[in-house]
Amino acid sequence: MAKRLIILLGCVASLAYAATPEKVLHLELSAAETGFDPVATSDLNTAAIEQQLFEALLTYDYLARPVRLIPRLAATMPVVTDQGKTWVFTLKKGAYFCPDPVFKGQLREATAQDVVYTIMRFMDPKNRSPYKFLVDGKIIGLDELGDEARKSGRFNYDASIAGLEVLDRYTLKIRLKTTDYNFSHAMAQPMYGVVAREVIEAYAGDTASHPVGTGPYRLGRWIRSSLIELEKNPNFRHELWDFGATHSGSDPALGSDPKIANSEDARVIAQMKGKTIPQIDRIDIQVIEESQSAWLSFGKGELDMIGLAGQFSPMALTGDRLKPALVQRGIRLDRLIDPSIAYYFINQQDPVLGGMSRERIALRRAIFMAQNDEEMIRVIYKGQAFRNAYPIPDGVEGSDPNYRSVLNYNPREANHLLDQMGYAKGPDGYRRLPDGKPLSVRYTTSLSSQDRELDEMMKKSLDRLSIHFESEKLKFPEIIKAERQCRVQMRLSGWIADYPDGDNFMQLWYGPHIHENNGSCYQDPVWDRLYEKTLTMPASLQRDKIYRQLARLLELNGVTKVSTSHIRNVLSQPWLLGYKAHPILPSVWSYLDIDDTQRPKP
Amino acid sequence: MIAYLMRRIWQMIPTLLGVVLLVFFLFNWVGGDPAYVLAGKMASPEDIANIRHQLGIDRPLWEQLWIFIRQIVSGDFGDSWSTHEPVSQIFRTRLGPSMTLLIPLMILETAVAVLIALLVSAFRGSLLDRSLMVASTMVMSISLLVYIIVGQYVFASVLGWFPVKGWSQQLSQNLTTYAVLPVLLGLLVSVAPSLRLYRTFILDEVGQDYVRTARAKGVSEMRILWVHVLRNAGIPIVTNLLMGLPALLTGAFLLERFFAIPGIGREIILAVERSDFPIIKAATVYVAMATLVANLLGDMLYRVLDPRVNLD
Amino acid sequence: MTTTMRSPGLWTLAWRRLCRDRVGIVSLWVVAFYFGVVLMALGGWLAPDWTREVGVNYAPPTWWMGAQESEDAPAAPTTAQANVVADLYGLQDPLASEFAVMQAAYPNEVGLPPEPPRMQTLPLGGDKWGHDVLTKLIKGSQTSLLVGFVAALVATALGTLFGAVAGYFGRWVDDAFNWLYGVFTAIPYLLLVFAIAAVLQQRGVVTIILILGLTGWTGVFRLVRAEYLKHKSREYVLAAGAIGASNMRRMFVHILPNVSHVILVQLSLNVVGFIKSEVILSFLGFGVPVDVVSWGSMLNEAQNELILGKWWQLAAAGLAMAVLVTAFSMLTDALRDALDPKLKQ
Repeated sequence: MAKRLIILLGCVASLAYAATPEKVLHLELSAAETGFDPVATSDLNTAAIEQQLFEALLTYDYLARPVRLIPRLAATMPVVTDQGKTWVFTLKKGAYFCPDPVFKGQLREATAQDVVYTIMRFMDPKNRSPYKFLVDGKIIGLDELGDEARKSGRFNYDASIAGLEVLDRYTLKIRLKTTDYNFSHAMAQPMYGVVAREVIEAYAGDTASHPVGTGPYRLGRWIRSSLIELEKNPNFRHELWDFGATHSGSDPALGSDPKIANSEDARVIAQMKGKTIPQIDRIDIQVIEESQSAWLSFGKGELDMIGLAGQFSPMALTGDRLKPALVQRGIRLDRLIDPSIAYYFINQQDPVLGGMSRERIALRRAIFMAQNDEEMIRVIYKGQAFRNAYPIPDGVEGSDPNYRSVLNYNPREANHLLDQMGYAKGPDGYRRLPDGKPLSVRYTTSLSSQDRELDEMMKKSLDRLSIHFESEKLKFPEIIKAERQCRVQMRLSGWIADYPDGDNFMQLWYGPHIHENNGSCYQDPVWDRLYEKTLTMPASLQRDKIYRQLARLLELNGVTKVSTSHIRNVLSQPWLLGYKAHPILPSVWSYLDIDDTQRPKP
Repeated sequence: MIAYLMRRIWQMIPTLLGVVLLVFFLFNWVGGDPAYVLAGKMASPEDIANIRHQLGIDRPLWEQLWIFIRQIVSGDFGDSWSTHEPVSQIFRTRLGPSMTLLIPLMILETAVAVLIALLVSAFRGSLLDRSLMVASTMVMSISLLVYIIVGQYVFASVLGWFPVKGWSQQLSQNLTTYAVLPVLLGLLVSVAPSLRLYRTFILDEVGQDYVRTARAKGVSEMRILWVHVLRNAGIPIVTNLLMGLPALLTGAFLLERFFAIPGIGREIILAVERSDFPIIKAATVYVAMATLVANLLGDMLYRVLDPRVNLD
Repeated sequence: MTTTMRSPGLWTLAWRRLCRDRVGIVSLWVVAFYFGVVLMALGGWLAPDWTREVGVNYAPPTWWMGAQESEDAPAAPTTAQANVVADLYGLQDPLASEFAVMQAAYPNEVGLPPEPPRMQTLPLGGDKWGHDVLTKLIKGSQTSLLVGFVAALVATALGTLFGAVAGYFGRWVDDAFNWLYGVFTAIPYLLLVFAIAAVLQQRGVVTIILILGLTGWTGVFRLVRAEYLKHKSREYVLAAGAIGASNMRRMFVHILPNVSHVILVQLSLNVVGFIKSEVILSFLGFGVPVDVVSWGSMLNEAQNELILGKWWQLAAAGLAMAVLVTAFSMLTDALRDALDPKLKQ
């Protein structure tokens, strides 16, 4: 196939003449967007687009690894005083919103007051924001405004509160209730991109289709759930591409060394340095749900870049290398470790599997020890994942590459453990509870075909222990609901970093987060006290030490088994310039360029 | 005629009510509670209660049902829960692509099916008839899913005759570029059933007295088939087409998903996955109404065109 | 069949007509072959255990020349690690004593139990786990045919019952059933499937049968009702009423045999339709559970395998299904012709 494609592309390319003046980037999304009001956004696909439309105060450096915060709408990094409780942000001058009828032809500059309004919106119960948690309970006086609005039905945006103080047109002082060194990460989320109050109020009820931000792009043609076009924001300030390589250390999981990484960065810098942002005039994003369609599209050059889902990697990769046919075509591969974990959890409140008696702990640990992570990586993820037993993944503050699990794959040991604890086999060959009652494990997955593979995997694991497998298939919203209500018995869940700090992962097992996102419904005073200690600590060796204890306790008590972390593979066409995959930023399109002379013409 | 029409329209109301009740209870009972997903990764129980309140799913069932019925009467189903897009706009924008796919599909399907049906009727019982019928049965026996996977791979990717996926805003470009492969693949599975049906329609007519009379008068066999038979067999064919249209509207979801066409079938699947009740409600009501109206039109047409059928 | 049939020779005549139909006979043999395979599989003589992983992952078909081209990296053997020697960071292991006992009872036992060697190639290739596609195909035939048949029986039984009652009693009973028919046909099929699937909850073969059965009765209903409308005022029925036959007896003993050819053809059509529908249900995620294999689940698995170059599962399942469905459809035609000779010239 590849050979024919090359010939085809060759023919087409030879027909091409002068490059069109307009540069267009063709991309795909694997799931439909959900509307472009940042306050209501919860998914990464939408966030990727909003990252281009709106600007938060801060962002992450494009090239620096480990990731580093830099100012975006802010002119400089915030001045933090009072042990992380007072934050002073100064805004860039000349950051204008994109044109909109609401502005009546006037240029409209983003000011400190807009930032206050943007943050307030998250607490307005009408907006039911999924990313409210980043400011919820943190800013002095803001929660009270939210409570008031819940009672009165109207949020008072004109109130002035002590926590959000406008010092002058461009300066804003934020006061937090307690020390929180992660607050800067919150201010780098695309959902916290700054909006203008008059726009939101003018389009009340339909803000999702009127994104007006200060970002490098604005929304052009839009066919919902199908096609999203972004075009240059004509009011975008003059900004030059100016990033420097700052690689330190190597990625053990990727086997890359810093020298190569830095030479890759050198290529990106050579291609982009000094160009104005953005270079690409139009971004054309299509929603393609079926992976076959997306992949074939990329193969034909209809897409400029594609995220390669693990199960499709054998099409393009042999092990960790690009196939020679693709290399010949000039296609480039970008690999990075996703700041995410896949972890099994068992509901600690479950009448059969839960509880802290030694029998139950042994049962849970045996179930975890029967999970063959390596087979999972090989067969399901096609090698594009690696065993990671630590709750904090690589690239996130607090991770520990030297952590050794006590729940590794070992079916013999697991069976011995069950034998010893009295889980005897019944006449049907399956194990029963020590008191003779029947035993089965109910595993919850969604209806997708990838989740069917997880079912197959779990069935094999439980067969190894002679435990009955029971499958519960639910639609995704139902899974989340059941999990929040502590009705899920066992599940393989995933978590991707909102911001690159260990706390974002460790909070998944915090007792008070039951009914929120502590799906294991684990409540252990010992664990909770230890965790609470870390909350007011800056990232440090002391905090890492406690994190290790927390991770170990989760294993010893049979609460969770962190199974794998994934590798993200992004393929890009030869004519795409300046691309480097970023672990946290949902999109980097404004930093790219296209060499249209290399692109085949239709 | 008018009386008949009125009676038929009157009869639609209980049916529609049944549809509304069935869908309402099925989806309210088991259709899920999207509040937990809408609330995001770290929502507290209060946030979820707030969302449930905003969506109105914390109200008593009868009240929600009443709202639903009021929505049907006013035609305003509110906004989508997950994207905040007005439901009416969703259907307005998705109908076009669905139709761009379906109308050519139906026209081609009918043309091909009628042509082959006439051909095999002329040679009924012959080797040609049998082998064509066997061939059409075989073509129909392969799953549409297989056709799509293989067809997209072979024709769009390996041979590169068509784009792999896509949709534009120009009708002409959609018709000449993007819709071609999906329509052809859809044709593979949809021609055979129609062909078999139309063949029986035509054979029914061939057995009628007027054909024998025409033959006795010395009218040529071709003229009998193309003029006399087709005119009469055309009536069930047209009504069959009309009645099949609403079902097709939602039935093309496989094509829509694989070829990234922003149609209605795909939207419904998305809505069910997201438990987006306003869209589900509206889709049910719209499609049910379309079905009822299409059936009525089909019957009327049948009765108007075919003098043998009594209107009462 | 019952003794009260008016034309006792109907079935014999039909059989004779069927025997003269060459296409019909060939189809019958093909269908019989499939049923033979399914019976053998049910009895455990064929494909006793499809869950055994006999081949390497994606083992290619033995006879396929392209097999050598495979450039995939060889699979690394899975290793097992002991779970006792790890830093506890000052914490207590609640199971420390158990592990100590185990350590003493099974010293030096770290590795995995030995695995039987795996085949490099298989007759029809292997799937991603190394299951034999041929075995899966046979087991899949069993499930798909079973699902198609039982679901068709359910749908036909429902449709016949409703149609008989509605057509026979007429008036408000007829109105009621017509209303139900109207409701079921007006709801978009896709949404009806989703709703019923959600109500049934428990996912298994029974769920699929019920989804298909509960949505598929409408076609049978329409035809059977029309037949009963015709037959109920015929002389033989009126005569049976005159000698005191109850309504039930008239409906199911007197009329039913006379409309059974319509029902049989509908049943057969439904089998074909439902075997195909099972594929779509699998695509939507309502397929068979993981410990069962069907053509639908195979096609769905194979959905992403074609672009990986692993075409054999897609081809095998697609072809097996196409042959059966073709044969079954043509058998249905032959059956219809044989039972209702008026249609044929």
